[in-house]
Formats: sequence, structure tokens, C-alpha cells
Amino acid sequence: MRRLNIGIVDYGVGNIASVQHALHAIGYRSTIASKSETLAQTDLLLLPGVGAFPAAMQMMNASGLTDFVRQQALDGKPIVGICLGMQLLAESSSELGHTDGLGLIPGKVVALEQSRWHIGWNSIETLTEDHLFMNCNDQVLYFNHSFFFDAPVEYQTAVARLDEFSEPFTVIVHRDNVVGLQFHPEKSQVVGRNMLVSVIEGLCRA
Amino acid sequence: MLKKRLIGVITVKNGWAVQSFGYRRHLPLGRPEILAENLDRWGADEIILQCIDRSAHKLGPDFALLERVAKMGLGTPIIYSGGIRSFQEGIQVIQSGADRLCIDALLRYGPKDVAALSDRLGAQALIAALPLSIESGRLRWYDYRCCTYASLDDKVKTLLRNKVVSEALIIDWKNEGYDRSFDFDLLKHFPLEGVPLIAFGGLNEASVLRRVLGVRQVAAAAIGNSLNYREHSISHLKHELGGLSLRAPSVKIEPE
Repeated sequence: MRRLNIGIVDYGVGNIASVQHALHAIGYRSTIASKSETLAQTDLLLLPGVGAFPAAMQMMNASGLTDFVRQQALDGKPIVGICLGMQLLAESSSELGHTDGLGLIPGKVVALEQSRWHIGWNSIETLTEDHLFMNCNDQVLYFNHSFFFDAPVEYQTAVARLDEFSEPFTVIVHRDNVVGLQFHPEKSQVVGRNMLVSVIEGLCRA
Repeated sequence: MLKKRLIGVITVKNGWAVQSFGYRRHLPLGRPEILAENLDRWGADEIILQCIDRSAHKLGPDFALLERVAKMGLGTPIIYSGGIRSFQEGIQVIQSGADRLCIDALLRYGPKDVAALSDRLGAQALIAALPLSIESGRLRWYDYRCCTYASLDDKVKTLLRNKVVSEALIIDWKNEGYDRSFDFDLLKHFPLEGVPLIAFGGLNEASVLRRVLGVRQVAAAAIGNSLNYREHSISHLKHELGGLSLRAPSVKIEPE
């Protein structure tokens, strides 16, 4: 079977080395690029995490990546956003003021009001029978964020809670060929990497 | 439900992983990459790579080490600490493969750079490293570059209060490396409620870890030397800490 080539979108603030080495460790080729013509040659676009929303969108806009990623999504190319990359899929964010996002999935990125941060390992609750996330209910994954994607329920695949009494918040969104993961699958050891493989294979070989 | 974390600390001096005792005495352990690989395999919740000679010798971050560790494709989040002198170096540390940064000297000498890093990377990527001790009943912040003590100043308190950095690494630097010696007064005297704390230094035994992780404000405990004394040490510790809100051990430990 042909090895998939994952296009890691370099918008200047992501943990791109970390993501690239994780992809190699699970058997994928990858290409880090900020140029649309290079990314267009890959099988899937991955928006990595680590960074603040406004800085990331500013760089996406300045390099022409915003329009490119939107068009690729419309053309049906698989797109996966991790952590900040997931949040960029939203219509807008209120992190450090209002900033427009890619708008690939309806919803807004807002601050977690229940806590200053959501840092560490937490279990997720799946809400649907999404074929990309079968057997993922109650899996424990690594999170590191303080804002979350407040998406309409039809795009929510999984939620998490800070404790058993707190309100759930979205941690996986899925709309057709676009998936967002609030946690870091690449840094969630075996569980996360298996999930990442399932998402990539499910989107690219469907 | 969010779990509390057990973080493995790798202390690096002159490029080698060392056992550290109060940051004064050091014994060699081996190559940092090997220790990182072990901690990853044993299910550490995060790994701190702490390069203790970089600031004093003005060497900047150890990018070569970071790149070697990153190339191993570990599945555990890496927190880098040591020698970060500027905004640019902080960015480069993340680009070299770290997932989060611990900042120390920059808190004192470059709070504007800390704010700029926060704007670029997000505050959740930044941890304030605070070597603390109790002197004459008061909390004192140690500056290892000048070997002086001072109160936690308003600048660093503001960075924490205003969410410019996400967590504070409370380093009991005097007791670091010594058995069951963590000074709980450091937590009691810490002036900022609501700031998640990572406790480090003298936390080598389950009974002490249980007590420290029982403190509501403590989100994680960082452990150094003792993790290297036996295979699957993290899983053994988690087994001994049963009943606490921790991620399950990566391997099942049979009762001895």
C-alpha cells in the first residue's frame, strides 16, 4: 500500500518538528511547507498545535494559506487540525480579541470559563458512532489549552469534562473531510497515535 | 476527568544526564536520550529536559539535544528548560521539538519577552520555573546566577496572575535529590491562589507524592533521580498511588 504523505502546514508557530517525528514514528511520510503549491501535492493537510490563535491566523493570512486551505477543504481534501489547528477550523476566536478563523466548521472558539487551563491527561466521551473514532470512548489523551471550539452539536464527535460535575466542552469536531482534535494525539502515547492513524486512514482511504 | 500528572525530570549537565543533589552535587547517569526513551516507554505524563549549565555559561538552549530527542518521535510531551534568553530562542525551542517551555532567568530579566512568547505560543506553553526556599519563615526566590534570595517580585506575580504563563514549577532546590524532603511550606506560603502548581524536589516516595498531589492547587509532581532506579518506575509509583486521580499505569504491576 502506498505510504501517505502528510502535509504539515507551517504557519510559523506550531510544534512542527514534534508532529513530523511522531508521524514518521507511525509510518507516514510528511512534508512541512508554507507554500500552497507544495502542500497541494500531499494527501492530507495537517494543521499542528501550539500557538495563539491571532498569531497563527495572521501568518496564515499573510502567506495566502487561508484561501488555499479553504479551497482544499471545498475540493474534498482531508484536513486535520490538532489543538490550535482544530481551533483555526472555526469561524472565529475571542483569544486576545476577535479574530476570524478558517470557517470550515461552524462555531466559535471561546475561553474555558470553568478553569484557567485544561492541561494534562483527560478522558473523552464520544457522542456519535463516528467511524473514525470507534472504540474511543473513555480514552485518555493529552490536552494543553485554555480556549475551546464551541461547535454546534451536529459537528461534535466527543467532549471532555474537567471533573464529573462540570459542563462538557467539545474536544473532537468532524464535518465531512475536516476533523479537529483538541488534544495532542501525537503526544498521547499509544492511545493517541492509534487514534491519529485511524483518522488519517479513515479520511484518506475512505 | 482531568488527571494529576507525574512528570519525569532529566537533569542535564555538560550534555550528560546526571543525578542531582540540591543542584550542588552531580553524579552521571548516561545519555539524556536513553533516559527520555525510558520515561516515554514507562508512561510518564510529561518529560522535563532540564539543562542546568546553559544559563550560567550563557550557552543558550541546547538545540542539538532537543533535536536528538525530537528525532526519536517520543509520544510523551517534552518540556524544555535551560538557557532561554530571548523571545527568539523560546520560539526556536518549540520549533526544535519541545512542546512546552520552562522559563527562569527570562522571568527576571525579560518579562517583555515572556509576554511576547505568550502571545505567539499561547500561555499554556509557558511554565514559570521558581526555585524557592523558606528563609526565616518567609518564601524566598533563589537566583542561582547570583546566588541571592529575594521575594517573589510583582513582575513575576503579575505574569502568573494575568495568565501570561500557565503553571508554576515550585522547585524545592535545597532538598532536590534527597529522600522524602519536599518542604510543604513552599506550597503553604505560595502567594497566588488559582495558579496550577508543579511540585519538584525531594519527591521520591509514594507517601510524599500522595500528600503533595492531595493539595488541590498542585496539578503535577515532577520527579528526578529516583525514576532511574528501576524498570517501569512510573507504573510502580502509580500503582502505589492507587486511589488518586492519575492516568492508569502503562503496564500492569503485579503485587509484590
